Amino acid sequence: MRSGRRVVKWFVGGLLALSLGLGGVASAQTATPLVVEAALDRSVVEPLLDAFRDAHPEIALDFRDRSTLEVDDLVASADPPPDVVISSAMPWQMARINEGRARRLDSAEARQWPDWAKWRDEVFGFTFEPIVMAYRLDLSRRMLPPQTHADLHTLLTTEREALAGKVTTYSPLGSGVGYTLFQQDARYTPRFWDLVAGMGRVDAHLENSTRAMLEGLSDGRYWLGYNLLGSYAMVWAQDHPEVIVQVPQDYALVLMRMAFVHRDAPHPAAAEAFLDFLLSHAGQRVLAGDTPLFSVRPDVIGPYTAQRLRDQVGERLYPIPLNASLLAFVDPQRRDAFLARWRREFRRDD
Amino acid sequence: MIEVSGSLKRRLAVWLLVTVTGLGALLMVEAWWSSRRAAERAFDSQLEAAALTIAEAVQWQHGDPVVTIPAAALQILATRHQERVFYAVLDAEGDAVSTNLPFIIAPAWQAHAARAPWALTTTFDGTSWRLYGREYDSAGWVSQEPVQIWVGHTREGRVALADELFERSVSRFVAMVLLAGVLMAMALRVALGPMRRLRRQLRLREADDTRPLDARVPEEMRELAQTLDHLFARQRESREALLRFTADASHQLKTPLAGLQSVSELALKSPEPADWHAALGAVHDGAERTSRLAGQLLSLARLRHVAEAGEVAPLDLAALLRETLLDWAGREAARDHDLGLDELPPGPCLVRAEAWALRELLGNLIDNALRYTPPGSTITLGLACEAEAVELYVEDDGPGVPAEARERLLRPFERGGRQDTDGSGLGLAIVDSIARRLDGRLSLAERDPHGLIVRLRLPRCSDDETGRNV
Repeated sequence: MRSGRRVVKWFVGGLLALSLGLGGVASAQTATPLVVEAALDRSVVEPLLDAFRDAHPEIALDFRDRSTLEVDDLVASADPPPDVVISSAMPWQMARINEGRARRLDSAEARQWPDWAKWRDEVFGFTFEPIVMAYRLDLSRRMLPPQTHADLHTLLTTEREALAGKVTTYSPLGSGVGYTLFQQDARYTPRFWDLVAGMGRVDAHLENSTRAMLEGLSDGRYWLGYNLLGSYAMVWAQDHPEVIVQVPQDYALVLMRMAFVHRDAPHPAAAEAFLDFLLSHAGQRVLAGDTPLFSVRPDVIGPYTAQRLRDQVGERLYPIPLNASLLAFVDPQRRDAFLARWRREFRRDD
Repeated sequence: MIEVSGSLKRRLAVWLLVTVTGLGALLMVEAWWSSRRAAERAFDSQLEAAALTIAEAVQWQHGDPVVTIPAAALQILATRHQERVFYAVLDAEGDAVSTNLPFIIAPAWQAHAARAPWALTTTFDGTSWRLYGREYDSAGWVSQEPVQIWVGHTREGRVALADELFERSVSRFVAMVLLAGVLMAMALRVALGPMRRLRRQLRLREADDTRPLDARVPEEMRELAQTLDHLFARQRESREALLRFTADASHQLKTPLAGLQSVSELALKSPEPADWHAALGAVHDGAERTSRLAGQLLSLARLRHVAEAGEVAPLDLAALLRETLLDWAGREAARDHDLGLDELPPGPCLVRAEAWALRELLGNLIDNALRYTPPGSTITLGLACEAEAVELYVEDDGPGVPAEARERLLRPFERGGRQDTDGSGLGLAIVDSIARRLDGRLSLAERDPHGLIVRLRLPRCSDDETGRNV
């Protein structure tokens, strides 16, 4: 396992070096290196990284895209530690902050960042990604597509035979994001467990990433996906007309990617410059215009902004609160209890 | 000499400043502690609430305690200052059932918390934490054991709150001091108003104005005003006395000078050289008397106006007395009198006085006695040495002075109703002046069966003082 990860690291490093060379960053030798460990698809975020490289040619950005659990592991185990850590696994990020792994960011951008999207001035939620349902056109031909959680529950009950094996969602065990979303769903209503039971009845496939779910939908393996990252799904839907994205009409969770500068960052100045760029008007404008990650800043205009999303979806967006209550999700006993309940409900025999 | 330099205002201000600074320092220390205490209390109650919330979530399953950490508890722990939070649920053996950070709860702390809820401040990972531990009874079907709930958070909020409270106390205190200072300055100005008015009144006063002050002053200054009034009254008296003295002196000098004028006028009209001779003799005598009168006036004036004498060496009064008596006994004026000396006490009688002043005094007393007693009278000088004082006396067996006239004798130009002598009436006045100058007391008394005793008491100075001064 350990050696396997090292191989991956080498491979990624080699690729990066190659891409840097091809990119023609002449000053790479004298530039300050900056290591960013991120659970964020490179393909999605590339415009932002390019904008940063343009704004800071003196910094040699080394962006490493990994899974949330890998990223979380590297925060504690990597030597040297990464400079910047980005992940959508909000409870794990919060736990790392609580351990004192972050360095406080003292800058104008950090100070004026909205209070609901930061914690201790150490970690910042810099994206605003709605959690959506997605379905295949095939589904809409056979039945009325779900618009709310209740619709979904009804569909799982009434169209049990038709949907058997055709539903997918996150695995709470295999994905931090999925686990977080289900925890948050369960906090809102106990009827969530009926939904879990319904998905268990149709033998829903549990995936570890939104990408896997989207691929399944395009392949035709799945007809219906629940709790997908809206940011990825919307981009996917643009190139795959057979996939329809539905923002739930009763309530839609909103996930924020959380970024912080590692306490022991080898290049703190470059790390702070990177985070400042993420929060800056320039960075957020790239986010809103060239990526589907949705900008948090109310003063940024573009197709992907929290403000525009609110205008379209209304006030039914419920961001997962970025505060200490997230820590409860990573409590092992609570997690065990939740997963046990999940398994019980998923395999409920009725 | 009163040594008060600088202004009263400054003195008051300095005292005020010292007092306020001292008190202020004490107050600040107290404020610092109490703001810390207040902050700790405020935040400890949050810890307590969080512990209670977690305790609610403890349940027993198959003989083990199970905790579903409530998110609310963590929110309470984090407070609005977004602290880092810590929680641990310990079973009866002290093992962690559930915890989020690898902090070790020392057995001593657990023992403490077992007795009563306990809060402490400690350091983990170089950060200051406040922990709170409390034991809860809990029971399941299989086992019934207490669990300990430990919660904690970093102290940034506490420090911020304490600093804020302290800052508020300080600014309140500073504002109070500034306000008190301004009020004090105003009060001082009002309170010192009468003094300023008195000063202005004194400054505007004419040099010869000796009327009492026309000022209503506060109680504290009434004494000063009264003293000033008293001083003015005394000045008036002394000025009047001076004028009287000058008038009297002029009058006294005028009489012999008028005599000289009439004698010389008569002689000038006479063609006889014998008359001229007689007139010249009369002029001579008159001039001599006038000269003596002028001399006495001069010494009186000098005695009254010469400034305070400096430190003088002690001298033996007995020796001086003997010497003066011998001097006078040989003079023409003492021819018809029996001038004698009582037995003098053994050993020196020391007084602190200038020799010339004492000689003048004795001379005047002897001269008086010779002049105002009929020829053949006995005049006796004597000396009595006591522990603290020396008494010098001159007694005669002349006609004496009536009691009612005796007091007046000490005034210049007073002859006790006697016009039969050529004395000027200045002798006793001079003696009195000298006696005052030497801190002595002059008294006149009747002698039995007739005659007058003049006594002078002078403070005696002891022998060892002599030794030191010589």
